[in-house]
Amino acid sequence: MEKEPVTNICAEDIVHYQDLARQYSRKSINPIFEGEYSDGNLSLLQEKLKTAFDIGIAAAPDESLSGCQYGVWGGAIDETGIIPSSLILSTIAETCGGVAMCLNAQGVASNLILQAKRKLTFIPVKVAVGLQEGFCPPFLGTITSPDKDDPAKSMTTAVQKGNNYIINGSKSFVYSMSGVDAYVVFACVGEKWGCFLVEAKGKGIEKTDVGVRTGLRACCVEHVKFNNVQIPLEARLDDGDARSLLIRAMSLNWMGMAAIAVGIARGAAAAARKYAAERYQGGMQIEEHPAVKMLIAGGESSIASADATLYSMQNGPLATFSGLKKSATAKLTVVDLCSRAVTDCLQSFGGYGYMEDYGMEKRLRDVTVLKSASGSPVYLKQLIFDIEKEGAL
Amino acid sequence: MNNSLEERIEQIKMANATQRMNFFGRLLVDNREMSLWEHDTKLLSWGVRRWRRKALKFAREYIRPLATEADLHPHDYDPKPILSAAARQGFQTMLLTPPLGTASILPYYRNTVFQLAVIGEEFATECGGLTLLLLAHNLGVAPLLLSGSLRNILGQMIPFYLKSYILGRPDCMAFAITEPGAGSDVEETEGGALAKLVTTAKHAPEKGGYILNGRKCFISDGAIADKVTVFAKLENEGIESWTCFLVERGMQGFSVGRSERKLGQRASDASELIFDNVFIPNKNVVGKLRSGWAINRNVLNYSRPVVGAMALGHGRGAFERCLEFCRKTYLGPKHLIEYQDVQLELADMAMSLWAARSMIWHSCRQFRCYQSASASAKVFASDTAFKVCNQAMELMGDHGYLHAHGVERAWRDARLTQIYEGTNQINRLALFEHHLSTDFKV
Repeated sequence: MEKEPVTNICAEDIVHYQDLARQYSRKSINPIFEGEYSDGNLSLLQEKLKTAFDIGIAAAPDESLSGCQYGVWGGAIDETGIIPSSLILSTIAETCGGVAMCLNAQGVASNLILQAKRKLTFIPVKVAVGLQEGFCPPFLGTITSPDKDDPAKSMTTAVQKGNNYIINGSKSFVYSMSGVDAYVVFACVGEKWGCFLVEAKGKGIEKTDVGVRTGLRACCVEHVKFNNVQIPLEARLDDGDARSLLIRAMSLNWMGMAAIAVGIARGAAAAARKYAAERYQGGMQIEEHPAVKMLIAGGESSIASADATLYSMQNGPLATFSGLKKSATAKLTVVDLCSRAVTDCLQSFGGYGYMEDYGMEKRLRDVTVLKSASGSPVYLKQLIFDIEKEGAL
Repeated sequence: MNNSLEERIEQIKMANATQRMNFFGRLLVDNREMSLWEHDTKLLSWGVRRWRRKALKFAREYIRPLATEADLHPHDYDPKPILSAAARQGFQTMLLTPPLGTASILPYYRNTVFQLAVIGEEFATECGGLTLLLLAHNLGVAPLLLSGSLRNILGQMIPFYLKSYILGRPDCMAFAITEPGAGSDVEETEGGALAKLVTTAKHAPEKGGYILNGRKCFISDGAIADKVTVFAKLENEGIESWTCFLVERGMQGFSVGRSERKLGQRASDASELIFDNVFIPNKNVVGKLRSGWAINRNVLNYSRPVVGAMALGHGRGAFERCLEFCRKTYLGPKHLIEYQDVQLELADMAMSLWAARSMIWHSCRQFRCYQSASASAKVFASDTAFKVCNQAMELMGDHGYLHAHGVERAWRDARLTQIYEGTNQINRLALFEHHLSTDFKV
């Protein structure tokens, strides 16, 4: 029986997490954007992400690192609930959605490793998890049983051979911090899911960058193929059925993406308010024009609704189908609301919104990627309907 | 009676069921197997239909191969070959009819820009930036025509048109109204009256012309234009004195400043133009002195349906590429296009595009373009295009945001159409303003 997260989180804690994230944004992320390009100087990124581990914002499976428990999606979320991680992600996303996405991907994979039922022989720092094969994440039938063609079964398999598992298959659109030490891989073991820790430098692993993308460019996205990859039995993270881990990973990922969308939208609204107070048009500040007021107010109200939806997730169990349904709903609605807010705020800049100068076009690119990534609206609606239809599975 | 389900489905398909009707009933059923594009094309008159087919062919032969690279590396490609090719085929001289221009005669006198709108949609289906590169030029030419001045039409527009079509060596033109401190102001009446405009022309009778000072920004094709129609107020007067001047590359004091880095439509530049004591001879005054505001507003009336059509093209490009993706991509044992939820989305996108096309074509049903119809068509088509591009990206899941598929490029391109030629908010006010003394009387 899964432990339900504790609901209470005090105001002091909230301030603490927000301060931590704001300081990280100011000191580490802002310098990336001092150059001319709206995506920033990404060559500085690895060094700045290292700082995230040092100050404990980035989660890691390594218990000697401070983020192991209290980083984004660290081991403590079963006690603290999702708010601390969501706050950190959304605050960082106000400055850069891509960096927040790095932390989200790292956190989800770390959280899974921290659930391991046995002592691991290899403890990585940077990790990533692949949740989908081919076109989209698994549908309900496949989540329930990976060999079920409903509509597409899992093609990644793990077969025990002596003291090893042999993994074959592929994962697509794997988000990570870049240069990961290991992948968390869900694979079909007979009729059940297995979850494995696979060293990234292992023999038989083939990585391909997905190429030029619309947004979230600070985050690495790649396709990973596993050709007869041999891993020891101890690298299996579950105790016979990894279905709950898969659900947990999908839930955390979507909640993280929703939090990032809220942060991006908040950043856009703040920028729009600032610009509207500075820019003159028709002899007065544009904030005095009803057209601009409507755009910004519409954006603000969308953000407020998105915030409320996201934080209503605090009490939800993470690794159950009802939790999965809630997080799918959150991703579906929150990201949509936030992308509307961002495009409205961009519109209030007129022509300057379309240029790289004010960072609004980057915000729009980033939030739009969130809509399609790791589960499109059509997929999410299908999943929500299926879970509802099947009742309490 | 014992037919299988498949047989029954086959029998009740409309084409087969029709055979059970009598002869006259059958005549009234349209069962032609024809694409949406072909259906719409057949609605057009012969002249416009010819341009639609020609534009589609040009877009596939010239724009498509260049689109990806021109978007990724806008400074590394040479725009001249495609400009010349478009000129040789007559696409750059569509604002006049033969023997001076290339627009089909009868449709031109039904609506001046309808043929351009039809061409704009076809071009934009392949690439927004290259379409803007080719069509922004018409925006630069339009003040010469719409000034109604024979001096400008005969002396400046026609020689340029003949050179362009006969020799295939077009001068590229640009249209400059926006200033760093006045974007929407120059597209709306009340804003215009209060605008803080900087670009000023000082009369210099001793030299026989005007001295132009100031700067313009976000000028499409500004960096490559040979000639620019620039709007400036006269010294010590307000915007009511706005006058249009034809500024030529090489005039002393005229230079190009920074080129903007844009979200989309990257193959076309948006540049700053700087005028530092540029001498403009009297012959380069377009139309009458102080007629600039009216020319500017009327140019926008004529250009907005074309911008709407370009937006429609972006949406259609995203839709077509998404459709192709759904045909090729498997989800389990079936292609995506075989799933009903996918079919619903695709149908919705096609219907939205159809509605936008209907509105644009409707806005071009009379000789003179008018403000409310033009503004409405532009707003509806650009909002629709952006919505359709979003739907296409979402339907493709993670593939939607990959540059290689070309859908995200259309999405980026489409977003600009909600902003330029007046933001969609300004265009809504334009509709209201036009009918202030009739429908919207206070």
